[in-house]
Parts: sequence; C-alpha cells; structure tokens
Amino acid sequence: MNPNVYQFRPGRWLTFALVFVLVTHAAWAQTISGVVRSEGDMETIPGVSVLVKGSSRGTVTDLDGAFQIEADPGEVLSFSYIGYSTKEVTVQSGLTNYEVVMESSMSDLTEVVVVGYGSQLKREVTGSVQSVEGSDLMDLPVPQMTQKLQGRLAGVQINQTTGQPGRGMNVRIRGQFSIAGGSQPLYVVDGFPITGDIATINPDEIEDITVLKDAASTSLYGSRAANGVVLITTKRGKAGRTDVSLNYYTGVQRVPHYNRLEMMDAVEFATFKKEYFEAEGRAVPEMFQNPSAYEGQTQDWYDALLQSAPISNYNLSVTSSTDRMNTAVVATLFDQKGVVMNTDYQRYSIRLNTDYKVSDQVKLGFNIAPSYVFDNTPRTDGDRGVGILFNALHTWPNMPIYDEAGELTYYNRFPGETGNIFAYPNWLRSAQEITNETKITNLLSNAYVEYSPIKDLTFKSTINAELRGQQYFFFNPSTATNAINRPIPTVAMSIRETMDDFGWLNENLVTYRKSINDHNFEFLAGYTNQYFRRELTRVQADTYADDRLPTIQGAININRGGTRSDVQEWSLTSLLSRVNYNYQGKYLFTAAVRGDGSSRFGMENRWGIFPSVSAGWVVSDENILNTSEQVSFLKVRGSYGVTGNNNIGNYTQYALINNTVNHVFNNTVVPGAAVTSLANPFLGWETTNQFDIGLDLGLFDDRIQFVYDYFNKNTTNLLYNVQIPQESGFGSFNDNIGEIRFWGHEFAINTRNTDGKFKWTTNANISFNRNRVEALAEGIDRVYGLAHITQVGQPFGMFYGLIKEGFYMNEEDLANSPVVPGRSTVGSAKYRDVNGDGIITIGGDNDDRAIIGNPFPKFTYGIVNEFQYGKFDMSITGSGSYGNELYMRHLYSTANLDGVFNMVRKVNNRFRTPENPGDGIFGTTVGGGNVTGVERDWASSHFVFDASFFSIKNLTIGYNAGAWAKFIKSSRVFASIQNLYVFTNYWGGQNPETSMQSSGEGDGGNLSQGVDLFGYPVPRTFTIGANLNF
Amino acid sequence: MKRINIFIICLAAVMWSCEDFLTITPETNLSTATFFQTEADFQQAVNAAYAPMRNIVNDRMWLLSEMRSDNTMYARNILFGATEQQEDLSDHALPEADGITTNVHVLNQYRLDYLIIARTNQILTTIDAVEFNQQSKNNIKGQALFLRAYAYYELVRYFPHAPLHLNPVTTRDQAALPLSSHQELYAQIISDAQEAIPLLPNKANQDLGRVTSGAARMLLADIYITQNRWAEAETLLREIVDSGQYQLIPEFENVFSETSGNKNNIESVFEVQFLEGPEGLQGNFLYQFMPRPISPNELRPITQTSNTEPLDGQGNNVPTPDIIEAFEEGDERLDVSIGYVDLLGSLRENKTYPYIKKYAKPHSLHNIHGMNWPIYRYAEVLLFLAEALNEQGNSGEAATYLNMVRNRAGLENTTASSQTDMREAIFRERRVELAFENKRWFDLTRTDRYMEVITDFGQRARNDPMRYYYPSGATFRNHAFSNITKYYALPAAEAEITPHF
Repeated sequence: MNPNVYQFRPGRWLTFALVFVLVTHAAWAQTISGVVRSEGDMETIPGVSVLVKGSSRGTVTDLDGAFQIEADPGEVLSFSYIGYSTKEVTVQSGLTNYEVVMESSMSDLTEVVVVGYGSQLKREVTGSVQSVEGSDLMDLPVPQMTQKLQGRLAGVQINQTTGQPGRGMNVRIRGQFSIAGGSQPLYVVDGFPITGDIATINPDEIEDITVLKDAASTSLYGSRAANGVVLITTKRGKAGRTDVSLNYYTGVQRVPHYNRLEMMDAVEFATFKKEYFEAEGRAVPEMFQNPSAYEGQTQDWYDALLQSAPISNYNLSVTSSTDRMNTAVVATLFDQKGVVMNTDYQRYSIRLNTDYKVSDQVKLGFNIAPSYVFDNTPRTDGDRGVGILFNALHTWPNMPIYDEAGELTYYNRFPGETGNIFAYPNWLRSAQEITNETKITNLLSNAYVEYSPIKDLTFKSTINAELRGQQYFFFNPSTATNAINRPIPTVAMSIRETMDDFGWLNENLVTYRKSINDHNFEFLAGYTNQYFRRELTRVQADTYADDRLPTIQGAININRGGTRSDVQEWSLTSLLSRVNYNYQGKYLFTAAVRGDGSSRFGMENRWGIFPSVSAGWVVSDENILNTSEQVSFLKVRGSYGVTGNNNIGNYTQYALINNTVNHVFNNTVVPGAAVTSLANPFLGWETTNQFDIGLDLGLFDDRIQFVYDYFNKNTTNLLYNVQIPQESGFGSFNDNIGEIRFWGHEFAINTRNTDGKFKWTTNANISFNRNRVEALAEGIDRVYGLAHITQVGQPFGMFYGLIKEGFYMNEEDLANSPVVPGRSTVGSAKYRDVNGDGIITIGGDNDDRAIIGNPFPKFTYGIVNEFQYGKFDMSITGSGSYGNELYMRHLYSTANLDGVFNMVRKVNNRFRTPENPGDGIFGTTVGGGNVTGVERDWASSHFVFDASFFSIKNLTIGYNAGAWAKFIKSSRVFASIQNLYVFTNYWGGQNPETSMQSSGEGDGGNLSQGVDLFGYPVPRTFTIGANLNF
Repeated sequence: MKRINIFIICLAAVMWSCEDFLTITPETNLSTATFFQTEADFQQAVNAAYAPMRNIVNDRMWLLSEMRSDNTMYARNILFGATEQQEDLSDHALPEADGITTNVHVLNQYRLDYLIIARTNQILTTIDAVEFNQQSKNNIKGQALFLRAYAYYELVRYFPHAPLHLNPVTTRDQAALPLSSHQELYAQIISDAQEAIPLLPNKANQDLGRVTSGAARMLLADIYITQNRWAEAETLLREIVDSGQYQLIPEFENVFSETSGNKNNIESVFEVQFLEGPEGLQGNFLYQFMPRPISPNELRPITQTSNTEPLDGQGNNVPTPDIIEAFEEGDERLDVSIGYVDLLGSLRENKTYPYIKKYAKPHSLHNIHGMNWPIYRYAEVLLFLAEALNEQGNSGEAATYLNMVRNRAGLENTTASSQTDMREAIFRERRVELAFENKRWFDLTRTDRYMEVITDFGQRARNDPMRYYYPSGATFRNHAFSNITKYYALPAAEAEITPHF
C-alpha cells in the first residue's frame, strides 16, 4: 500500500492514531502541503475545507486541489467537502506532502436525492425511490438513457423490443400498464414533464436519474403519475471548480451468429419440396428433383441484409462554478450506422445550463438544450409483407440475390407448379432504395427565478418551453418494395409527414422550512399551468413519372386517404402542496396532494384530486439499536396514495363528426358527414391507489445496503373504448371501466465486497410483479387481442388459443379423437376439445380456446458488478427475466407446411407417416392448406415458447492513465462490449425481449404484448473509448 | 378563519379563471354540439348515409346472396390456406349454434345495414326542428326514409329477426334493443317506403345517383312481391312503367356502368355510385370476383390497367357450370355476363375459368375502378310486373313484359302460356337476366325453393368436384351443404355484447 494514500478504515485508523500519539511527541511544527483527489476518477477536488482539528487553523484547496497548512506532527487534519465523507489524516513526523483521497459519501447521512419538486436527504425519504448517477452509465455505448438503465433498477422492467437505433425501449415501472393509456412513465427533465420522446435526450447531459415508484413519491405529479415518474437532472458545475472533459468512444456493431433462428438451407428446402410433391402424389418440379445440386448454393437473404456497422460518440463538456455563476455546457455528437444496411442514426445535441446568483436573495437560471436527430431505418420490422427482415428470413434459399452480371436482382418468381405463389422482391433493394427517414429538431428550454426574502422561505417561478419538429419522409421508388408479391416496377409512392409540437409550462412554487427544537417542517405549495399543441400535416402521393424526383408535384396522384392535417391540444392546471415533518430526523412524515384540471376530462368531471401520505421511522437512531454494531442504518417506511393516468386522448369526451364520409352523385364527389363517436361528459382519468411498505437496511457500516419494498396497487376507471352493439351505429363508447390489481416485491442490495487495492462492489435487484384483472365493463368479461385475452380473474393480456396436444398419430387416433370437421387428418395438429363437444372449434359459442401462456415474467432481475484494482477498473452488467413467454407469431409463415416460404430448420423433423412421426413440433404436409392451415392459422399453444433469459448487457474494462500531461487532470481509456451474450432457450429469434405489432410500429400494446415477428436484431457492440479531463 | 376564507376565494378565482384555459374543443373535427343545424348539414348527413352502400355491394352482399345461390361459388385454390369464412357461405357449411354464427361476412353485412339505419335515424329525428326549404327537406327526408327501409329490408331477408332502431343512440345504455319480429320490421319498412314515395322527386328532377320516387316505388314493389301482395305490387310497377322515366337499352351489353361513362342510364332505377380516382370512393369488386391465382398477363386483357398486379388467394363469386347452362341457346346475355380466362398458375388440369364479365370494364389503375353497382334496373321492373300479373292469373299480359326482356336479349317470345309455366319462365328469366346482380338467392328464399335447389346443386357439385373448380384429388369438405337455411343466424360478435340475443 502506498503510504501516502490513506484509505479511510476505522479499525486501522485507530492503530495509526495510537502509534502516532506515541511517536510524534517531540515533533516540530511544519508546513504541510498536498493535494486532495476523489476516489475512483482520482480527479483533484478544489474547494475542500481543511481544518486542523481542535484549532482555528484552516484553509481551502485551490483550483488544482492543492493545499498548504501549518500543522504539528500528531495533529489531525480534517478534510470535508459536500458529497464526500469527511476524512481525517494525522500528520506524521517528517512527512510534509500528502495525497488525500476522499471517498464519495454515497452511503452517508448527507446524501441528497432529487424528489418531485425538490430534494431530500436520502435518509429522510419516506417513499420508494431509486437513483442512478449519470457517470455510472457513461461507458455504455448505447444512445438511449433507458437502454443504459437496463438491469439497474429494482421494480423497473426495461425491454428493448427491437434493435432499430433510437427506438423500441419499453419501460414498465412496477408492472404498471393500462388498456389504452400506455405504460411509459412520466419523464421530468429538470422539473419539466416533457411531452417529446425520451429517446431524443442525450444521456451525456444527465447528472442523475431518480425513479419514483410509490404513490407518496409520485402523487405530486397527479393525473400523469400512475405509470411512475423518472426525474432527470442535467449537469451543473461543481462548486468552486472548472472541469473540461472530452469523452469519446468508437466501435463496431455486429449481429452475433449464436442463437440465430435456423432456417433451411437450399438443399434442405429442395429436399422438403421434393418430399412434399411426392407425398401429394404430384410431379416433382424439375427444380427440386435433385436437392443435392444446391450444395453450397444457399442464398441467406437475412444475413445478406446485415452488415458490420460503426458507432461513435463524441462528447465535450465544460462545467464551471464560481461564487455567483454556475455554467455547464455539454455537446455531443452520436453517430450510429445500423446492422441492417442503410440504417443511419445521428444525434447532435448541445445543452447549456446556467445559474446566476444575483444576490443572496435572488437567483436566476437558464437552461437551453437544442438537439437534432436524423434517423433513416428501412422498414425492417413488422408482419410478413411489411417488415423486410421477416420477409427476407423466409425467402426461398434458392432464389438469387445477385444476377449473373453481379447486379442485385429485382425480384424472383419461379413457375407456379413449383408452389411459388408469391413474387419476392429483392430485399436488399428494399433496404437500400426505400427512404424511410425521420428528422427531429428538439428544443427544451427553461428559465427560473428564485427569491428568498428570508432564510428558509423561497419563491420560485419557472417557465419551460418545448419545441419539437418532426419531419418524416418515406419514398418507395418503382424499383423496390417492402411487400411480398408486388411486381417490379411497382407504383412509386411517397409520404411526407410534418409534426410541430409546442408546449409550455409555468410553475410557481413556494417552500418554507422551519425547525422548532427537534421538530422540522418543510412546506411546499405550487400553482402550475401547462399547455401543449401539435399540428400535423401528412401528404401521401403516388405514381411518379421519375423516381429521381420524389416531390409532391412530381406525383400524378395525391392519395386522399393518406393525406390529412390534424391538431391536437391539451391544457392542464394544477395546484399542489406537500408537508414534510420529522422529529429528530427519526420519525418522518410526509403528506402531499395535487389537484389537476385537464382539458381532456369531461365537462362534468374536470378536476381530479391526488393525495398521498407516508411515514418512516429510522429505527437505527433509537437507543435500542445503537448497541448493535452490525446494523448501521435501519428505516421502515410506508405510504399510501392516489395517482392518475391521463393518457386518454385529447378529445375522447366529444361526439365527433367525421366530415369526410363522402359519396358520389352526378359522377362527382359530394361531401358527407356522420357522427362517428359518442360523447361522454363524465370521462375522466384512470385512478391508481397504491400502498407501499418498505425497509432500508445498512449493515456493517453500510457495506451492505439492502432495500425491500412490497406494493399493492389498484387501478380503476381504466379508459376503454367499450364495445357496444353496432346495431347502435357505433362500435364503442369511451368509458372509465374496470379494475386491475398489481402487487409485487422488490429487493435491491448494494454491497462493498472488498476494499483496499482490490475493490469490488455489487448492485443486485430482483422484482416479483403480478397483476390480475378484477373487473372489466358491465356485461363484458373479456377483451381479445391478437392471440390474447384479457379476462376477469386472470392476469392481463394472456395468450389465448387452442391447446395443442400433438398430432393424430394414426387412423385409430383420428377416429377416436375430437376433430376439426373436414380438415383433420393423420399427422395434422390435434387440439384439446376443451368444451367436450367432440368437435374442435375456434371462436364462437363452441369455442375450444383457453389460456395458453403468459407474457409476464415471474420475476426480473439485474446485477452490476464493479471491480477496481489499482488503476484498472471493470464492470459487468446483466439483466434477466424468468418465466415470460413469447408468441412466436412468425411461425404462421416460417413454418408454412405448404412450402410457400422457406421454413425453420425444425420442419425437417415434421410428421411424415405414423411410422415416422418426427419430433412432435410440426405436422404433416399432406392435404395442403385445408389440413396444414389448422396448424398455422389458428392461434394455439403451438406458437407459445418460454423466453426466459439472462443477458450480459455490458462488460467494460478501463484503465486510469492519470495526469500524463500538464494540462490533463486525469484520463482514462476503456474498452467495452455491449450485449455480450444472451442465455436463453428461446429459439424463435435472437431477442427474447421483443414485442411487436404487425405494422412494425412499436410494441403490440398491452392487449397484444409479447409477439415475436422477427424484428431488428440487437447487435453486439465492441467499443474502445477515452475520457480526458482538463 | 379569515385567512382560510381568503384562501378559498383565491382558490375559487383560480379555478374559475382556468375553465377557459381548460376548455379545448377539437379544431379538426366538428361535434354534435354544432352540427345538424343547417340545410347543408343535413345534405351532408344524407350523403354519408349512402356511403355504407358502397361497402355492402362491393364487399358483402354478393357473398351473402349470389355466392350462396347456385349461380356462383368459391373456387378453391389449394396452394393457399382455406378462407373458411367465404367457403362456409358458398358451400352451406356455416358454423351455427343457438341462432348465432361467427361468420364475419354475416357480421359485417349486419353492421353496415345498421350504420345506414343510425345515420338515417339521426336525420329523421332532428330534421323537422330545423327550418329550411321544404322541397329540399322533403327530398332529404325521402332519401333517408328510402335508405332506412332498404337497410331493414336487407336485414329481414337475411335474418329471422332483428332489433328495430328508430332513434339515434346517444348513450351506452341505448345501444341494444330487443329483437323485433318480421311482422314488426315489415310494418316499419313498408311505412317508410310509402312515406318516401311522395317526398322524393322523379329521376328527371333528382341528382343522378340519389334515390327517386321511382326507386322508392320499386323498393316497395319488391317488398310486396316478397310478401306475395301482387296487386299492390302491380299498381306500383305500372306507375313506374307509366312514368316514362325508364326504358330498356336496346343492346344488353350497353346496360352496365363503365368506369366513368354509361352511369345511371335510362334503364337504371337505382344504382350504387362509385368513382374511379384517388378520392377513395372507388370499388374493386371486379378484382374480388376473379378466379385465382391470376398473373398480370392473364388479368391485363380484362382490366386493361397500366399497372396490373397478380392476384393470389381464393377465387370468389366464380360462375358455376349451372348458371352457364341456364342460358338458352342464342341468348346474347351469356357472352356479356360471363367471360373466360386461362390461369397458368392453377393446379387444375383444365386451366380455363369463367369469370363475371358484366362489370368487367376497362379502367386505369389496378384494383381501383368506378363502375356503379345496379340495385334496380328497368328490366327487373318488367319482370316483376310480369310476375305480379301472372300470379294474379293474367299470364297473357305477363308474357308481354317477359318478352320485352327476352327479345332484347335476342331470344324469341316465351312459349309458356299456363300460369305454372309462365311462373317457371319468369323465374328462369330472372336468373339469367339478373345473374350476378344479387337477386338469385332472394328469389330462392321468397319462393321457398332454396332447399330443393341448393340440395340438388350440392349433390351435382360433390359428384364432380373437378367440374366445380377443384384440382384433381381435392374436393368439397365433408360438411359441405350440411346447413342449408333460409336465414342466417345472428352474428356472434354482436350476440356477445347485447343482452337480447
């Protein structure tokens, strides 16, 4: 151990102290100098106060962290600084230069966490909150903040449903969701609940992230808080110092080969076709008469779309803080190509945060954060005919990608007797020639003034504004298409969509603190107004004379159905208040309430009140436990509160007229108008009542910190478009209905496993979330999804279909089993006759469907290990999910036993004859679609597979190169692998986190979640990077 | 206490001031609060009441009527998964239990009829409270009454009973009503049709494509004929003939609408309007009627589009060998009504398929055409009149009207003279004259011949599936022709959410 570097260890300290008391008796007073660094990054810390204990001598470290002070040997120097544990060093005789390393006070009593409309000492927090520091996430080479959080938060399930850059993150806090109101939490950036996409926020700007989970923590966000709240604080300068840092990483992304969905190669496919025709008693087309001729000839269409793709991030930040002025500038360029060809994602962002102290009473601040995102992603995701990856996956492996001249083919179609009923366009052309780009300009800004007329009384007024412009441009030239069976040349088509958002928020807050003896009060009241407006214009045009001019005027047709304009607006007025009270910091109590009035709510139901109460008891402060050496901290806490979800649409309370129900008279268009929805003046927010009880425990001087929470929530008044009989002329009625109960247990543990030269810390969490539908609308006990049911008494959105029991193994089996009339044969799928009527029926009154699977995990977990050895550091992050199932929807096409498409390799082991029944997954091909359709077209357990996984999200190894040049304060280089490995038994694709809807636009919604349509792969990314601090 | 009062006053002031801030009405939609207040509003409302007719004739009606009869059928392409929903209709194997069926086409037809009913109810219950030009008001009311009667008339011919809605639904609890009997439904239909006749202008004085007094008389005559009220039907039909508004077009091939020309011609009593072009008001029924799989080269001569695309899947509404045989020797209507196409992609040895040619008119773009769909033609007025006369014993005069239709088709006068023979002659004539115009099934049900005719047809077809467009080795399903019924069961999706069935 370097004798100049002191690690704060109480036990050893005592020994030192004793020795020094003896040795330093006769020492001389001397000038001590040194430098103070922070643990970990070993950066110098300016502004640290240095005191000689028991004297009035003191100083402050300068901008380089250096200090000089007069002290006698044996005297104790005390170093203190906000955010760090106070450190004491005894002056040794003859040693005048000290390097003092201060440890961050993560576990200290003084740690402060950001909470709604303020901050609080962590030890006094009575709700369930969890924080992550931005610096902990820096090395992860992914562009979205939510990607970086995977595995780190207890009770927060974060799934990456697609690998499309900048998209597809599904965040669910405490399992919360609703039927129509979404499950994404409310993101609050520096106090502003943003309306734009969190994916466009540059994670390099983030100082820390706090997730509010229980109702006591979230109720101040009222009608928007039911899905949980994520508070994001952006970077500020650190007191008394200026930091310039340059961070860079670059790397390459690849789609790994392990665990890819195995499709037939050309030989296997030709063999299948040969056997197929032979089994049908039909002539084998010449193409398939000699399958072995295809040896080495396989065209892997999926792999041909993939590429190794670069990724880089350049970040420069300057933070500076003086007495009166605090400034932070963060500029980042993120540049990513995708692993599917022609994918581009770039983000340019700058943030400028400034706080200015006018006087001791008045403080001003301005933040402004412009950003620009360019995103071009081919139509990779979605169902057959929509997503080119799904299409390419099962294109015939004997269809040529390139023609003899080495040019990409346009499309492939073999003669009808080969069973090739679809023309397949060349998917590489689809990827390369179709433009599908989105450009987003985003401007977040806010300004505030804070006035403290007297100590502890503060008025704060803020104005926040958000501007967002999104331009979408799609152009499908005549030479390519993303649909199966559209001949080339096709009709060229363009879509232009412009979305302009403008939102503002004004908040006026007053806080007042008062302590009377040991009674500490904090009072908050506020009045806020928020407004949002979105204008959308969309023009769809087709039939272009020239592919090189995809302008609107270049089109012969304007497509009326795809052309429209729209305005969406909402407003929200709120009153809020909170009281914190504690006695000796030991008995804690908080009550909060928010009243929200919203333009979205019906006229008869305009205001919602969202109260909460919580209490905590720091048991470890009681004398009874002070004797316990092991327990360093123990707090029990409980809360109850009400929150809402106002994602109910802007105009759902109105009966709308559709003025475009046009018709034709005199061979010209005449305008028509019809009432298309029913009004509900009582429509309101969804209400969640949540109870939480938790425990924070620190053991062995907080070397082990443990947090446990149990919660129970009831969400009622869910917004649902209740189906009504259409004899009324209407399909549905917007109403608040039903009840879903959510409950769960969350455990999080942080441990410092070893100290000293080799440091090892572990953060681990595990969450068990459950839900159950308690009620739906009157007269409605179920709602169907794609292959899903939401039914009273069951968890939400369960997979629903027939129960496959195997195949009819022989004639006898067929004769003695329930069958599908006219369709069942030996070797065809055999389903359970659930209603016992002897006939297999899907849907209707004789339905044999049942619940066949559960998309929800039994538990999710995450683990982060960090190691430090001298100048080396390493971290490894994993996240996992157990017991969740996926609906392998693509099998309806990738295992089409009529040989219409290429098939998954497992079809090789299909049922052939009673003597050769295969491995029980796929049935006979004999009988054509009438027989095979029962297996592929009917929702059943055939499609449901376990998708439990454990994913090593990231491995990073770093080296602290220190200050190797005069102007460099510290430096570090690192190498990392993102998405190192996924352990799973799921075989339908590489991403067990997937969930997709047919259009490929986002996940399947809560009614139809967990559907695998073979979307964009999540790449493995190898990066190297460097951080330089000046 | 005083402070609290001030606080409450402040709070009230804040709440009151923000009522304005919190009231946001949709900018890009009108709502019921502001609509149905002017003549123009009602004009638009009645226009929208026609709109579901396009969906009905383009997508549903031929499935539920023509393809259910022995005129057309589902032509199985075994390269594709079966589409049972259509197949079940064509081969009379609908799943049905307790008067409920899951068939999606039955469901959609039902819903489309009630969409017309809801839109017309909205007009009829609110129009009288708004002051505007009486003539215009009468015209709108007449159209709404016709459309409501027409929609209910479809329902009574498809279903054994149905709910009777006469008021617009505004809340959730008004949505479902108990089932009404045919007697109740017919009473309303007849009263609406009777009321519509004097309100509507004749064809010369009406926008082309809107219903007229002639159309309303024809609708009422149709209803009376279904109810065997021959004399009342005769009166109405004679009024149409005497109106001078209609004539037979000399050449049968010129009777049917083209994509933009020959619409609402002199023979047309009422037809559903379509428009070719980007307005979204086009039809594509021609494509739905094509046997499949058909390649662009095979399809192009029929549609003559510039961007022909292949059509896959199952063939629907493909003429049966029976309807082809039903045409007499020398009947000019055969070649106008039915064409042939060779499908190389078919798995049948005989790759020649018939298709419905009546509506196959050239147009510019694939899957977009503007041909109107005939609901009532003057030829049918004449055949109805012949039938009404014959049923009243006036077979001689009946022959006059029957022969007008036969002669136009290049056929000699009928040889029938007895009432029974004449009845058969008219029945046969209706089949070929009105082939693929969705009349055959209703002729079979109103005369109660559906069981006998379809049972025979089923036997013929099952005995020779290759003749009925199956490839060798394939045939009808085991339960084909096992559920031949006069009416459809009510749709399951509706049954699930109404307390009444």
